[in-house]
Amino acid sequence: MIEHFHSIISNVSSTISKYETELKKPVIGVMPAYFPMELIDAAGGYPVQLWGNNLPIQRSDTYLQSYCCSVARSVLELEMKGGANMVKAYAFTSICDTLINLREIYRRLFQKPTFELSIPSTQTEQARRNYLKNIIDTVTKGLESVTGKKITQNSLKDASAIYARSRELQRKLYELRQTKPGVIKNYDFYAVLKAGFFLPRSIYNDMLEGLIRQLEKLPAPSAKRPKILMSGMVFDPIEAYKIFDELEIHIVDDDFANGWRTASKTAFNYKDIYEGVTQYLFQPAPCCCVYNPDLDRHEYLIKKVKTSGAQGVIFWYIKFCEPDAFDRPQLIGRLKKEGIPSVTIEIELSMTNFDPVKTRINAFCEMLEG
Amino acid sequence: MTEFKSISKMKEIMTEYYIEAKTTKVKPIAWLTSGAPVDFVNAMDIIPIYPENYAAMCAASHQSVELMEIAEREGFSQDICAYARTDFGADISQGGPIQGLPKPDMLIASTNICKTVTKWYQVIARKYNVPLFVVDTPFLHDGMTNELVDYTVKQFKDLEKFLADFTKRPFDDDRLEQIIILGLEASTWWKKMLSLGKTIPSPFNSLDTFIHLAPIVVLRGTQKCVDYYKMLYEEVAELAEKKIGSIPDEKYRVLWDNLPIWFKMRRNSAFFQEKKCALVAATYSNSWGGLDAFELDTDDPYRGLAQSYLGAYINIGFEDRIRYLSKLIKEFSLTGFIMHSNRSCKPYSVGMYRLQEEVTKLTGKPGVVIEADQNDPRVYSEAQVETRLEAFIESMESIN
Repeated sequence: MIEHFHSIISNVSSTISKYETELKKPVIGVMPAYFPMELIDAAGGYPVQLWGNNLPIQRSDTYLQSYCCSVARSVLELEMKGGANMVKAYAFTSICDTLINLREIYRRLFQKPTFELSIPSTQTEQARRNYLKNIIDTVTKGLESVTGKKITQNSLKDASAIYARSRELQRKLYELRQTKPGVIKNYDFYAVLKAGFFLPRSIYNDMLEGLIRQLEKLPAPSAKRPKILMSGMVFDPIEAYKIFDELEIHIVDDDFANGWRTASKTAFNYKDIYEGVTQYLFQPAPCCCVYNPDLDRHEYLIKKVKTSGAQGVIFWYIKFCEPDAFDRPQLIGRLKKEGIPSVTIEIELSMTNFDPVKTRINAFCEMLEG
Repeated sequence: MTEFKSISKMKEIMTEYYIEAKTTKVKPIAWLTSGAPVDFVNAMDIIPIYPENYAAMCAASHQSVELMEIAEREGFSQDICAYARTDFGADISQGGPIQGLPKPDMLIASTNICKTVTKWYQVIARKYNVPLFVVDTPFLHDGMTNELVDYTVKQFKDLEKFLADFTKRPFDDDRLEQIIILGLEASTWWKKMLSLGKTIPSPFNSLDTFIHLAPIVVLRGTQKCVDYYKMLYEEVAELAEKKIGSIPDEKYRVLWDNLPIWFKMRRNSAFFQEKKCALVAATYSNSWGGLDAFELDTDDPYRGLAQSYLGAYINIGFEDRIRYLSKLIKEFSLTGFIMHSNRSCKPYSVGMYRLQEEVTKLTGKPGVVIEADQNDPRVYSEAQVETRLEAFIESMESIN
């Protein structure tokens, strides 16, 4: 069962091509983060999420400096080397300065249409509402022009249901991992989440349901080593999770933008697209990349650590991600005050040697074990 | 760099400004980003303080490294903007040329210079437990639109309410109007001064403009600021009239894109002088003089103001940037352009290599991208940069 998920993420390109042919829907590449897939699905597109990859950086160096994050550099690499030929258009959000400018680079270099769901950074409610309504209108028209289909309340209702189900199942998987630490290996858990980036959701949901049924029957293994919560923008590189498994460390929860921060989102409000998008962008989990003074990351993370039973936090830091880097020192200080130890591990998606990472994780866990 | 007589006046008004800010017992202090709508703050008699300006002062006086190291010891990554790190370090240690900035009572950040400022100011807000007001000015991927202007104007109105609530006084609309007029007046003198760079030889160097832009950033909206830029314009206009160039035997005329390398101002000045290469236009200095990229609404001051804050150079799409750079190349009779790929400023720098290709293609003028940083000498390789610049200068056709 689990092998199926691994096989998907090992064969991303052929997976997408296969379903593109079967579904006869244009593939829309979705850049990080929080672009509601429901909109693409409702417009008759096939969304695939691009959270970076482990390609060696060869061509994208021409246009992206080495001080850009490996997420941006590797997605551009993929397009430049022709690895994203099946992608017909790109959907962006304005989560950081690099991605905002990356969209401009795409517009100058490639012919593919791009859309940006600009995320308002304001606390003034009415201003946000009017502005976002206009943005949503532009984005939906853009999507419709690529797919040739209109977003209707019915199509949005269907898309909302299928993605709500998907995230509900993912939350169930999170719950199983937390209540029965070790019931699913760390490497397998993130492979399951990652497969969802590329598979059509109805197929993914069926696979996920099957897996959960199996896991529910399994007893909780005995967890000897410390339980950990991970925090960062991107959970990749997935190979790194083999280290956690080798060290028999159980990740019991996470605060990844492409993990829990997305999985925790409730059903998209299809009756009111504006409310749907607003809710999706700003709730329920805070993110370093989304300005929302109503949510406090410090309180949120402390609560999460306590609820999950994690004994420590690993900050999984993708190099050059400024929004993440700005938040961290104060967050670490606050955790310390609460008696929660943490460690920061710097990651590049293209890294192949995980030995130093392993040493640091092991040292951190030994420290936790006293 | 050119020693303008006006520099003593600038030092005087900047000193007065910082003394008042450091000693006031009655006026509230607001920390602002360089692109924030200070007009509203001035209208309520709140002293605006610019951490970016202070960070630049720290680097120009070669104090940024020790300050950044203090911030880095507190856990701030070397990956984040060196201005922010310098300021964090100065704040922790009360260091830098004026021993730290006066504590903020409120914070106002605008996203027109980057989205990163919201992160930077959230850190300060948390540290001092003071309110933060973010004026969101989204990136103009497709030029100026009515919706973007409406969005910004609405936030201005909310900002007025925020300031009125804070000061417990009604917002002073009349004062705002005067301040907007004074701000425009100062910008106009600044812009007229910058236009004198079209003269051959250029009476000033862009490195001079980086120094002389301090008042337009921190004192915009005051009579002092207007008087200063009028004085500077008149001095430079006289030099232009007499055809006195900022460097002898001007041979090459180039544009500088992005912030300066603050810790290398003197060295760069000597380098360009030796090469007879005059920096005569700079997108950074132009940012406080109106870009001409978009027409401003003169009938409605709120809309005009919104357009000017939205239309900051680094907040506009590449199509508009290319058009603007090409226009400057033509109008200033440039022989080439230098783009500073600035590790600390992603909105300015990411995509620069593509911009360079396209501008060269469009204008036929050579361009070069150099890798550096506005504030962090530790990531700067002088030999590498100068070798690149030498090769670039050799590739240009001289003006005579």
